[in-house]
Order: sequence, then structure tokens, then C-alpha cells
Amino acid sequence: MPAILEVENLVKKYGDFEAVKGISFSVEEGEVFGLLGPNGAGKTQTISMLTGVISPTSGTARIGGYDILKQTSQVKKINGLVPQDLALYPTLSARANLNFFGRIYGLGGRELKERVDDVLRVVSLTERADGVVDKFSGGMKRRVNIAAGLVHQPRLLFLDEPTEGVDPQSRNHIFESVQRLNRERGMSVVYTSHYMEEVETLCNRAAIIDAGRIIALDTIKNLIGLLGGGVVYVGVNQVDETILAELSSLPAVKESALVPQPPAPPAPDGKESTTDVKPPAVNPVIKIVAENNQQAVVNVLGYLNQHDIVITSLEIMQPNLESVFLHLTGKKLRE
Amino acid sequence: MKAISIALKDLQILFKDRGTIFQLFVLPLLFIVVFSGALTAIGQGNQEDVILPNLAVVDQDGGEGAAFLLNKISQDGSLAVQSTSAADVQSLLDENKVVASLTIPAGFTAGIQQNTPVTLVITTGKNANPQIVEAARLVVESIAADMTLESQIIASLKQMGEMQATAPEEYQIFSTERVLAQARSQFIAAQARPLINIVQSAPQQGAAEEEAPDLSLAAVPGFTVLFVFLAGQTTARSIFEEKKIGSFRRLVAAPINKAQLLIGKILPNFVIALIQIGVIFAFGAFGLRLMGLTPLPIEKAPLGAALIAILIALCSSALGIAIAALAKTENQIGGLSTLLLWGMGLLGGCFVPLFILERFLGPIPMIVPHYWANRALDDLFIRGLGLTDIYLSLVMLLVFSLIFFAIGLWRFDFD
Repeated sequence: MPAILEVENLVKKYGDFEAVKGISFSVEEGEVFGLLGPNGAGKTQTISMLTGVISPTSGTARIGGYDILKQTSQVKKINGLVPQDLALYPTLSARANLNFFGRIYGLGGRELKERVDDVLRVVSLTERADGVVDKFSGGMKRRVNIAAGLVHQPRLLFLDEPTEGVDPQSRNHIFESVQRLNRERGMSVVYTSHYMEEVETLCNRAAIIDAGRIIALDTIKNLIGLLGGGVVYVGVNQVDETILAELSSLPAVKESALVPQPPAPPAPDGKESTTDVKPPAVNPVIKIVAENNQQAVVNVLGYLNQHDIVITSLEIMQPNLESVFLHLTGKKLRE
Repeated sequence: MKAISIALKDLQILFKDRGTIFQLFVLPLLFIVVFSGALTAIGQGNQEDVILPNLAVVDQDGGEGAAFLLNKISQDGSLAVQSTSAADVQSLLDENKVVASLTIPAGFTAGIQQNTPVTLVITTGKNANPQIVEAARLVVESIAADMTLESQIIASLKQMGEMQATAPEEYQIFSTERVLAQARSQFIAAQARPLINIVQSAPQQGAAEEEAPDLSLAAVPGFTVLFVFLAGQTTARSIFEEKKIGSFRRLVAAPINKAQLLIGKILPNFVIALIQIGVIFAFGAFGLRLMGLTPLPIEKAPLGAALIAILIALCSSALGIAIAALAKTENQIGGLSTLLLWGMGLLGGCFVPLFILERFLGPIPMIVPHYWANRALDDLFIRGLGLTDIYLSLVMLLVFSLIFFAIGLWRFDFD
């Protein structure tokens, strides 16, 4: 598959502050590519540069073979942007909004009407087309927001946190729309989110971005595979280098290390599991990277028991992008 | 085409906003009605007092003829005669205490008695209303013409009497027909060669520039200019709103160049300003008449009115872009709008008629576009001047528009 997007060492600086620090990646035609990272990681800045909203300080990218700096107008025709904000005119109807954004892309007459009707179908809002956007629910507004980015049939769609603040039902609607566009129309998608479940569900590949840098880039399967069988956090009353070395040599354990603070309890809707015991902040926490979570937990607890080391907390994290991010950066995606 | 799409969308949004519609179209009319009514009442109050215009008289003759002339002017009842010296007359004129001065030269009485031409000098005040000066001149001229005729007929009859006295008793040299023919001849001679000439010392053109406009009419141009410029902030607010909701980002990401984008954002304000001026002028011409107030004489210069309207709308739109470029937050837009638009309106003669404002601010109001807009409208509608007379105001409005556009383009943040 040829690449529809090739990013080369993109940098964005504001004075001394470097928001994007030399990002490079590519997206294949027909691919759904995820940019996963916490708020402030540089995802929106990257998208803004690729869509021509802001100029990069250095570096460049090619979209559909066109240079984003030298062939701006061709690039803009290929791109579709769904911004994080609800970039709609609230006092106008959904149809009036879509008509306007269609005209901005040079559409008119019957073609415009057909495209607007089409995108309203895609986001399941045909029956509410003439309703004023201001009266819509948050989820419906998000769907109109997506439709506005689709009306000119872009080859490459940038979705910047499209599910921010929507209910689960609307989120599913949005997922289905993105999957349908990709599956039925072959639309390439760059999807940014700080929800790892979304990226896991929708994307073929993803780049994990933190503090303006890509820290990992691979297929979702391979990214999760970085952690092997998962991660176990064990709070103990005492630890030293010998204990850590012996824990690392246990069967089903890849490595062990001391972390300064235990991770915060995971969100209830996450895939992580936890004990009811909350570790006191003063106790050391050992991070165990496991080849197999279940066997590793049995072996580690057995070792600690044999050596009379008191366990103050226990947290078992299943392998997923959240735990990968935590493993790579030492912080949670939603921190 | 894309710029027009943006403009149409903005107009669609604007016309859904009742508050803005009220501010753009209803509020100016309310201001005009209140101020026109109040200013008309002030004007009528002055008329009830019937204060006669003062005419300063410098009598350098002091004779019978001068006394006769002054007595006749007083009897006419149009002017209040105020005797003064040659030394004081200039200060009276400068302070606008008299509309004009009449100088009766030494030898005036002797000239009339000897039937030799004499000259009266009328000097007009710098700030005098030319219509009143003209009325004063006509009064003096009319009395002088009567005196010329009277003097020449009396002289003629005297001469005829003397000739008759020297003729033999049985020989009547003057028949009734000859006397009547002589009287007619004197009457024609009095008109053709007036015994009393009148010279006016101040040029009419200079006086016309200082004409005080009808106060009741001043409200329409003033509030037209104020509210059309106030509409300029609509552009700034619209751009800020687009940035706030994120749609500006979407527009920048679309295949539309920056010039089209800016034109699209300016165009609605330009159209709105033209509609606004049209509504206010129509109300000024027809609404005020229906309400019994002095109507705006727009029918006298429709082309000039259209040209001024276009330039004011252009300048207001350019100012809107400049405000949008300079202000980074909603509060800054509010602050800048209040400071610039209301401040410039106050300084530019939107609340106080220019001819009054200039008396205590001198040339300072010229630094704001409102002044030139007001001056153009005042000159056209109130002073009845033509397009060629107001070209400077039009050029200045264009210059201000270019300056505001330049600031807007220089400082505008597309990110």
C-alpha cells in the first residue's frame, strides 16, 4: 500500500518551548492510524501542522504526494479535519452548517445537496437535518462535527479527539461511522485520542506520543506485546538491589524495578484489576514486567512470603495500550 | 465565491440575532428621534424669545442724513441698532455679539444733500450666519434706495421750482406731464446710479463655510456615523467567535486563501453598514417628516449620499478588521470598541454638532474618521454643498480605510 501521509521530522516551537520535537511517521492509504497520548502531548499541534492551520517550525510532510508547505491548496483538498472543538455555527441547522462547509470546498448545486444528504446518513442524522445545532445533544453535535469534515469526501480524515465528552451510545455511533468510512470508502484516517480503548478498537497502527515525541510506533498488537504478559505492581515494606535481582530471575518475570510512587487506582471502566488494599505513599513499590501475569504473581508472592517481606499493595495490569504507556513513560494517559 | 459563502453565512447568523438587529437598526432611530426632537425644541424655544440680530453702527457722519438712515433701520424692526465706535466694532464682530457692522462715512449727509454718491460699508462677523447677514444687508439697501430716490426727487423738484420762479408769470414752463416725466426719469436714475452705494467687506464664500447648521438636522448624520462605525465591532466579534468555537481553524484548513477569508469576514459588515445607512437615511427623510420634525433633505444629493455611504461603510469594515487584529480576547474587543468607537464618535462630532465642537477643540477632531464622515454629511445635507466641495472629506475617509486595512493585515493572527 502506498503511503498517503509521510511525516518527516516535524517540529513546532513557540519561543523556547518545543511543542512538537521532530515527529516522523507515515500512514498508508486506507489505514486507520492512531495518535495516542495524554493531553498536551502534541497531538493537536501535529494535526494542525498537517492540515495547514499552523506552519511547522521545521520539517515537512507529504500528503497524497503533495508537500504540505509548497502545495498547500492540493493538500487541503485531500484533507478533512474534524477538530476537537465543536467547530459548528450553533444558531444554524445541521444542514445549513454542512452546506456552508461544502461550499467552502467548492461544492454547489445538486452535488452539494447529494453530499450533504450522504454525510447526514453516515452520521445517522438525516431526520434531524433541519434542527438547530444548539438544540442538539452533545453526541449529536459531535456527529455533525464529523459530518462537516466529510462533506467534501476527503481521502485523508484527521479526527482530533472526536469523542471528547460524549455519551457511550454516541461514541459507538462515531466508531461505527469511522469504521464504515474506512471499510466501505477506503478513507484513510488519523485518529487522535487519549482513550486507549478507542485506539485499540479502531486503529491498525498507532504512535504513542508524549511531550512532543513519538515514544513507540507499531501495530496495536506489537505495541501491547512490548509488555509481554502484563505488569504487576507490588507494594512492600522493604526492598533492596538483591531482592530486585532475585525477583527478575524468577520464572515468568521479564524484569523488576523499583518505582518511586505506586500508580493511582485505575478507572473503574478500564481493563485493569486491583486489590482493595491502597498502598501508603511511603512504602516502596516494585514494578514486575511479566511474561505471564498469572504465573509471575504466584512466583513473586511466593518469594516475598519466603523472605518475610510484608506486601502492602498489589496491582495487576493486563497488557493494553494504557499499561504500555505507563510502562514507557511512568505516567497514565489521563493524568 | 468562497468569500461570498462566508459572508452569506455570517449574514444568516447575524439576522438570527435579535439583539444585534436591535442595536444595528432600531437603536440609531431611537437616538435620532430623541435628539432631533430635543434639538428642534431648543430651536423653537429660541424663536419664541424673538431676539433681534444686532447691527453695530459706526456713525462717522453724525449728520441729519445718518440719523434719518438709522431711524429708518430701527423702524423697520428687523435689526437692533447698536451704536459703537470704530475701535470697538471688531471685537463685537469677533465675539459674535453683532451679525455685522454698518459704517456711515463722514460726509454722508452732505453727499445726499448735494446729490453726490456716498458709500456705506457693511462688515460681516467671522461666525455670523450668512442668511442673517444677507437679511441685514437687504434692509440697509432697501432704506438706502428709498433715501436715494427721495433725495434725487426733492433735488429735482427744487431745481424745477427755481426755474419756474425765474420764468415770466404768464409763461408756465412745467406742465403736469413734464413734472411726471421728470419724476419717472429720477426714479430710473436712482435705480441705475444709486446715490448710496453699499459695500460688503467679508467674502460670502468664507462666511458660508462657517454656517451653523440646523440643529435638528445634525442628529441624523451624527448618529448615522456613530452607529455605522459601532457596527464595525460586529466583524471583530464574528472573527473572535469563529476562533472561540474552532470554526476558524476549520476555515483555515479549507482550500481558501487568507484574502478570501478576510474579505468574507469584512463583506457582511460592509453590507450591513450600507443597509443601516439606507434605513437611517430613509427614516431621516420620511420618518422625521411624519413626526413633524425637520426631515433630511436626501433628495437634494442622492448620488453624493450614496458615495459617502459606501466610504463610511468601507471605513467601518476596515476598522472592524483592525480591532479584530489588535484585540486578542473578548474583553479586549469590548474595551477597544468602547474606547475607539465611542471615543472617536464623541471626538468626531456624533453627539455634538461639528460647528460647536470645533469652537473649543479646534482641529483635534480631524484625527478621527468620524469627523470626516460627519463633515461630509453635514456639508452635503445641511450646507447644501456639492460633491466637488466635499472631496477632501471623501479622500480622508478613504485614507483612514486604507490605514485600518493595513493595520488589520499586518497584525491579523490566522493561527
